[in-house]
Amino acid sequence: MTERPAPAPDDQAFVRAAQRGDMVAYEELVARHRDKIYARAYSMMRNEDDAVDLSQEAWVKGWQRLKQFQGESSFATWMTRIVINLCLDQLRRQKRYRAESIEMLDEESGGVERQMPVVTVNPTERLERTELRQRIDQALDQLSETHRMVLVLCEFEELEYKEIAKAMKCSIGTVMSRLFYARRKLAALLADLKKPE
Amino acid sequence: MNAEFQLKLQAYFDGELSAREAREIESILAAHADARALLAELRRTTEVLISHEAEVKLPESREFYWSKIQREIQRQEAGSHSASMPRPSWSRFLMPSGAIVALVLAGWFGAFEMGWLSRGGRSPQIETYLADSGAMTYRDEIERTTVVWLSYPAENEFAHADPADTIR
Amino acid sequence: MNTSRFPVIYWTWLAFGFFLVTCVGGQVQAGEIKLEAQLIWGTNDEKSPDPKHKSVESKVAKKLKKLPFKWQHYFEVNRQQFSVSQGESKKIVLSKDCEIKVRNAGNQSVELTIFGKGECIGKISQALPKDELLVTGGNAANFTSWFVVLRQPD
Repeated sequence: MTERPAPAPDDQAFVRAAQRGDMVAYEELVARHRDKIYARAYSMMRNEDDAVDLSQEAWVKGWQRLKQFQGESSFATWMTRIVINLCLDQLRRQKRYRAESIEMLDEESGGVERQMPVVTVNPTERLERTELRQRIDQALDQLSETHRMVLVLCEFEELEYKEIAKAMKCSIGTVMSRLFYARRKLAALLADLKKPE
Repeated sequence: MNAEFQLKLQAYFDGELSAREAREIESILAAHADARALLAELRRTTEVLISHEAEVKLPESREFYWSKIQREIQRQEAGSHSASMPRPSWSRFLMPSGAIVALVLAGWFGAFEMGWLSRGGRSPQIETYLADSGAMTYRDEIERTTVVWLSYPAENEFAHADPADTIR
Repeated sequence: MNTSRFPVIYWTWLAFGFFLVTCVGGQVQAGEIKLEAQLIWGTNDEKSPDPKHKSVESKVAKKLKKLPFKWQHYFEVNRQQFSVSQGESKKIVLSKDCEIKVRNAGNQSVELTIFGKGECIGKISQALPKDELLVTGGNAANFTSWFVVLRQPD
């Protein structure tokens, strides 16, 4: 378990003011963290319009629930959880009981043994940072929504398996299968990154 | 390495195993190069992903973005406080008209439903009841088989697997 | 709603709609449906630890093996044949932890409710004419799986 982070002093003051109904203070919080919240929504939805809408919805919800925020985590983390849940709800609505591909059923049910050879993901400092980020972004785009979701929740949000299972409304076993598949697919997609000559 | 061990290795990497299980994995890692290679791949992939997350900026100005949020907050707060407006006189026909339309539509749908149900292969309708459970469907038209896979939260299969706990 | 002021035309439409629903509703197919339910255990072990388990019949085994599941071996834990009348339900105990309830929804459609350890897990409504297979499954302990296969027997 991580230690309880101390909220940035500035955030704390603005949060307290906003909890008393000060919307100017809340606007300042939005300005400070809007990119981060939008980025998380975008990483899950992979669509600008959806990410903008859902991030705004998260801010509206954040205002409504502000009195419930007790400082257990940083304000940014608290808002991130709100936007993640909104994204998950949206994705769930979009794929409700839709027949899935063989690949998804295969992986969901335990999967055939993955015979993918181990690859070495070897981007180096010499590769342009921008190019590397683009490659990673493209690779993430090639994952299914579900696989991307579990990767985001585990790698970027550092949630435990049981927290991911609760968020994604599935079993811990399913989380593990999805995560493994996502990681190995990503490794394969990034395996050809080479040092420039 | 079978799939079960691979998942266990991943759980070790993610710090999800108990101390005893972690020690078991470590002894296997010491003896098997392919296991070490897979662990290295998982580690490296995570490092690359975390250290190079794309920088994404909100494609709207501060003022415009905030104005929409503020408007929505004010709209919702106004909606919860406003008194109900007196209903227009023609509204008394809304309910009976709506009921008639619903009945007619139900009749038409019923006709279509009856016609369709005799065909196999239509997507199943599914309800799940356990908290945090879900379902996934898959249809093989050639084999005329519909699969409904039910997923539901289970205890950590590594920590609590009982070798005798099979379906009886 | 003041019926004395309610225009006649609305009553006419109401009656027409009621007539339509009744006509269509009356056209349900009568008769019972004969079904077979199998409880199957999926595993990678070559032998089941339970001597009462049998190999799944070849027709069903062939279909299961074509599905994208990882398990190599399937064992029949229980199999039961039963009939359900139109509009009726029947509860079948397949094991001490697994029960199903099957309702004949008419027109060769069924509603299958699965109970695991006494708790209702899910309900599936599906058309099930002859030669169709409805396979419901989930994870079991030790990376094995359970399946309930429902079909009209030959």
